[in-house]
Amino acid sequence: MPAYNTIAFRPELCNGCGDCMRSCASVKTGSADPANSRIQIAADDGSYALALCRQCADPKCVASCPAAALDKHGDDGVIAWDGSKCVNCLLCTVGCAYGGIVYNAAERHVVKCDTCDGDPACVKVCDTGALRYITTARIYNEVGDLEDLFAPGLSGCQGCNTELVMRHTLRRIGPDTVLATPPGCIPGMGAVGYNGLTGTKVPVFHPLLTNTASMLTGIKRQYRRLGREVNAVALAGDGGAADVGFQSLSGAAERGEQILFICVDNEGYMNTGMQRSSCTPFGAWTSTTPVGERGRGKTQDAKNLPVLMMMHNCEYVATASTGFMEDLYAKLDRAIDASKRGFAYLHIYSPCTTGWRFPSQDNMEVARKAVESNFVLLWEFAPGEGLRLSRDPGRPVAITEYLRVLGKFRHLADEDVRHIQGTVNRNLRFIEGLAGGQHPAMASLAADRADQAGTQR
Amino acid sequence: MNAVVKPRPRAIVCDGNEAAAWAVTLAHVDMVAVYPITPQSSLVEYLAKFVADGRLNAEIVDVEGEHSVLSVLHGGALAGARTYTGTCGPGLAFMFEPYLRTPGLRLPIVMSIVTRDTLTPQSVWGGHQDAMSVRETGWIQLYCESVQEVLDTTIMAYRIAEHRGVMLPVNVCHDGNYLSYGATRVELPEPADVDAFLPPPAVHWHAALDPERPMGVDPLTGGAGGPGPAMFVRYRKGHCAAMQHALGIIAEVHEDWARLIGRRHAALVEAYRMEDAESALVTIGSMSGAAKDAVDQARARGERVGLVRVKTYRPFPVAALIEALGDASRIGVVDRSVSFGWNCGPLYQDVIAALHSARRRPATQSFIGGLAGADLTTDHFGRVIELVGALPDDSGLGAVIWLNEQDR
Amino acid sequence: MPVPNRYVIVGASHAGLEALRAIRMQDAEGSLAMITRDDALPYSPTVLPYVVSGRSAPERVALKDEAWFAEQKAQLLRGRTVTAVEATANQLRLDDGSLIGYERLLLATGAAPQLPPIPGLRGVKFHVLRRLDDAIGLHAALPSVKQAVVLGAGLIGMHAAENLAKAGVQVTLVELQPRVLAGYFDADAAAIIESAFSDRGVRLLLGRRAAGVAADGAGIRLQLDDGSELTAGLLLVATGVAPAMECIADSGIATDRGILVDERMQTSVGNVWAAGDVAQARDFYGTDAGARIINGILPDAVEQGRIAGQAMAGDPALRPYPGGVPLNTYTFFGQQAVSVGRQDIGETVLREADRARYLKIVMQQDQLTGIFGINAPFDPGIMWELILRRIDLGPLRAAFLADPQTVARRIMSRSWR
Repeated sequence: MPAYNTIAFRPELCNGCGDCMRSCASVKTGSADPANSRIQIAADDGSYALALCRQCADPKCVASCPAAALDKHGDDGVIAWDGSKCVNCLLCTVGCAYGGIVYNAAERHVVKCDTCDGDPACVKVCDTGALRYITTARIYNEVGDLEDLFAPGLSGCQGCNTELVMRHTLRRIGPDTVLATPPGCIPGMGAVGYNGLTGTKVPVFHPLLTNTASMLTGIKRQYRRLGREVNAVALAGDGGAADVGFQSLSGAAERGEQILFICVDNEGYMNTGMQRSSCTPFGAWTSTTPVGERGRGKTQDAKNLPVLMMMHNCEYVATASTGFMEDLYAKLDRAIDASKRGFAYLHIYSPCTTGWRFPSQDNMEVARKAVESNFVLLWEFAPGEGLRLSRDPGRPVAITEYLRVLGKFRHLADEDVRHIQGTVNRNLRFIEGLAGGQHPAMASLAADRADQAGTQR
Repeated sequence: MNAVVKPRPRAIVCDGNEAAAWAVTLAHVDMVAVYPITPQSSLVEYLAKFVADGRLNAEIVDVEGEHSVLSVLHGGALAGARTYTGTCGPGLAFMFEPYLRTPGLRLPIVMSIVTRDTLTPQSVWGGHQDAMSVRETGWIQLYCESVQEVLDTTIMAYRIAEHRGVMLPVNVCHDGNYLSYGATRVELPEPADVDAFLPPPAVHWHAALDPERPMGVDPLTGGAGGPGPAMFVRYRKGHCAAMQHALGIIAEVHEDWARLIGRRHAALVEAYRMEDAESALVTIGSMSGAAKDAVDQARARGERVGLVRVKTYRPFPVAALIEALGDASRIGVVDRSVSFGWNCGPLYQDVIAALHSARRRPATQSFIGGLAGADLTTDHFGRVIELVGALPDDSGLGAVIWLNEQDR
Repeated sequence: MPVPNRYVIVGASHAGLEALRAIRMQDAEGSLAMITRDDALPYSPTVLPYVVSGRSAPERVALKDEAWFAEQKAQLLRGRTVTAVEATANQLRLDDGSLIGYERLLLATGAAPQLPPIPGLRGVKFHVLRRLDDAIGLHAALPSVKQAVVLGAGLIGMHAAENLAKAGVQVTLVELQPRVLAGYFDADAAAIIESAFSDRGVRLLLGRRAAGVAADGAGIRLQLDDGSELTAGLLLVATGVAPAMECIADSGIATDRGILVDERMQTSVGNVWAAGDVAQARDFYGTDAGARIINGILPDAVEQGRIAGQAMAGDPALRPYPGGVPLNTYTFFGQQAVSVGRQDIGETVLREADRARYLKIVMQQDQLTGIFGINAPFDPGIMWELILRRIDLGPLRAAFLADPQTVARRIMSRSWR
């Protein structure tokens, strides 16, 4: 069964302005009378209540219609009303528990939301972000039927974000793949396997923590030599990418090996017991930057690995987050494509419920807040195009909104928070500078590649 | 497919590094990963040139260090490629992590060690300390005496490594300086003969990464309970068995080489003028040439002295060595490296252990010489023969004799 | 004996179709056959008055087509009547003598018109309205009819009367009860409906019984209990329906007025379920846990059908049937009447009525037990949930009574959005 786009409502962002209802009514009836709106928002004790068709997957209104006048469309999921069949019996309104289909006295028949053919008028006029048209269903429809290439029952921690990254990325990349998972959480949860058993349905191996990109080089080169299209893919932690694995990573990137290297950044050595890596941010508690009488967590800022990789002039470099799956998938698609021509590097931020100390159900919330506070910036780089911010960093939530949900930052003093805010601001300025082509390095990099592209043509 | 575009002379003058590059070419190696280091550098330059000239049709991967050199070959071998590289000294030390792993993965990689003394003192010259330091890691080690032997052994190494009863990586060791740079006349075997000798590489399905036949390579194995410990023991025992089995295969391959190519090399140990010898020298590597000259001179004086050169060092050919030593009652072992903590050379250590296993107790003496590029001359060996001939009956592990200690 | 079907569903209306969907949610492959006595594709009895009036074309009322059944990997056997359920043999005997084996059986046979004991009725031509053929026949008869008598002022009778009137027929409606739609509305509400009919020339004879009927040329002549007489070209008998369960007469399946089922729609025979108008199931309001009612309304048939399908397919998501709540929607001459729940349990806490609008709310303590309106906007589906969830309206009672639609939506947004 396919998934569908949907109109989502966040009452905490609603200010009750009523623009959505006027917009809907105008589009649907030519009159701006909110009574004619298919979306109804009512004040409720400081919050707002929503009556709107949910375009249910298993719609009771359709099942309750005696005249076959309602039907859920397979292509867009909209429950469509056919006025030529409707007998005005109102039984659909009994079936709906959401006030999503109601009798309209002016029009003398039942009315309901049809999502304006995928471009809902209500959402377009909502300035607060309370109404959003969520289109992540596209991802599900595209990849939902693809085989999950990891075995069920990997032994990740409850709520593990990395497992999510693994399953999403690999099913998209597909079975014609050789997968490297250097020591860390990914093989630790059984991706390569234990004692003769494997956890992955594609060929998979443990490289050393140090040589992932080099082993993939050998594999990819040999298959290219044989004329076979095989994806050489790494799912590596930040330690194996930014620290001890950096030399081989840098070498392969410089050589332009046709590899897709995905760094799953959980900001430390989480599998071995939460030790510090160079990607651990300032102030963070880890088991090797403990908090005590004198210790206040890590005393240096994180290494900005994706920027370093960009300066290798890779075929594609991007940062992504599971809190923004459409963005992640778009970048994954580009990275897969780029890896057929050269080195593609995807840096996915992956909150760690165990190592960062937050409740396992808050994973997505943490991932989102990291981005919404600009602690994590989402961008992509391609030669000739330069760097582009893929999410507007304007209007960030306060950094404290992010820091306070994580146990590893619980000890921070005000000055530490100021330091982190300063780092976030500096990173933002730096990346925005690169995005604007104002940074000399980026300007020349982009120009170089443009020249090369020109020469090749 | 691997067309040879330039006609080659049947005999050329070349050094050991170029000879290794010719061997790689004749063996139709698929993938070479390189990183330069003295005294190996010219070897990778020859390879690069051969590829650039179209003589060698291989993927050549210029990586950022020796660690990646071997790692790239791991990947290539897991995808079915025949692979080659060479290194020495500090480079070998840097690749130690993947080096240790290679035999466990049972990858038939062939790697030259253009032997070099280890740091420190800082040195860029020959000595066996690098290769000897990795003698217990599970690789096969073959030590060459001549440039011709470098060429022939490097090709034979693929037959040995890829033998289904072996499936182990092979180090072909040739001495830095003396073999790497010493040019001699070398006979190139006919490519067709080599092709008849060495079949094309096959995918090694015990560990392969192919989407058409997915497997997990090297899952975690072991642990305190469950099937792990027994499984781990099975892997280790299999590795040991393959090492021992290799002794026979090495001999068989050398025999085939003699039959098909027409040139015979000693496979495990070479006995030189050991008939009725009372005294014996045991040598390894290029020093053996000068040592044989010294033996010849002693024989000319009527001394009953012979020489046993160890070609196959790992697996150690205990039976072949004992047989070659015959009834010699005085034995001098010359090492080009040191076994720290035993105060002797490592080869000496192996020889006395082998003698012990054969319940023989001749007089023995450890000599160490040729470190850091030092020359071992006929004069040195003349002195060794003299000292060995004068060994008291109960000589054994004790004070080592340093051959270059008095050199000026 | 042929290989038995994993599932057999008898009846192809709302309960049966919903059961089929629920089974396929859980078991995409198990063999499934649906048997309907109609030659037509599945349709809803509720749409029939609109077929009579011409509002709905008979060929456009199908709820599902053959392609849908193929997609569901279900076999639809049309025009076949089950004459006997042979429960001990797990098989059905059909009118053509053939046998169909089943592993799990759903009886969703619905209801059939119940004819009143009026002397002479069997001897005259009259219409009922339960099957598509009935509606098509009635529609065909309309042009030649000038006067019609409708017996029964239930939903079918009322709909038919309205549609006949709109077609220009002089209609007389005869009802035993003192008001129309007595099961759903009180006298005040009924008065609004009655006046709408009277205003459009429909003659309502309430509190009257038909004493006898005889043929009169092409039409009929009807005597009433007060001695008066009516003549008409068309007689429609709509005095109610009864569960269609002749086929289980000797099956051993327990019945009362309908087929008795538990909260999973299972009958007294383990591998037989029943749902919809034929089933007699738990009463939501019943103080006696064993109380069983025939609810006989479309949305409840859907609920029961789904539960039965889930139970048959072993769906772990099944939630037991909470019990029947009377519900109805009724539109007449462009006006809307909606009833949710019971009038007779609890106390009436709000009652507003004039000629054009009516609203009544009944509560027991702070829980809603019923809400009834004519031209009064509220969302019946939300109200139904308020009743089923026994939502405590105490804190919002005053607001709810002032604006039930908005406040119920607020509660929905908080409780199950």
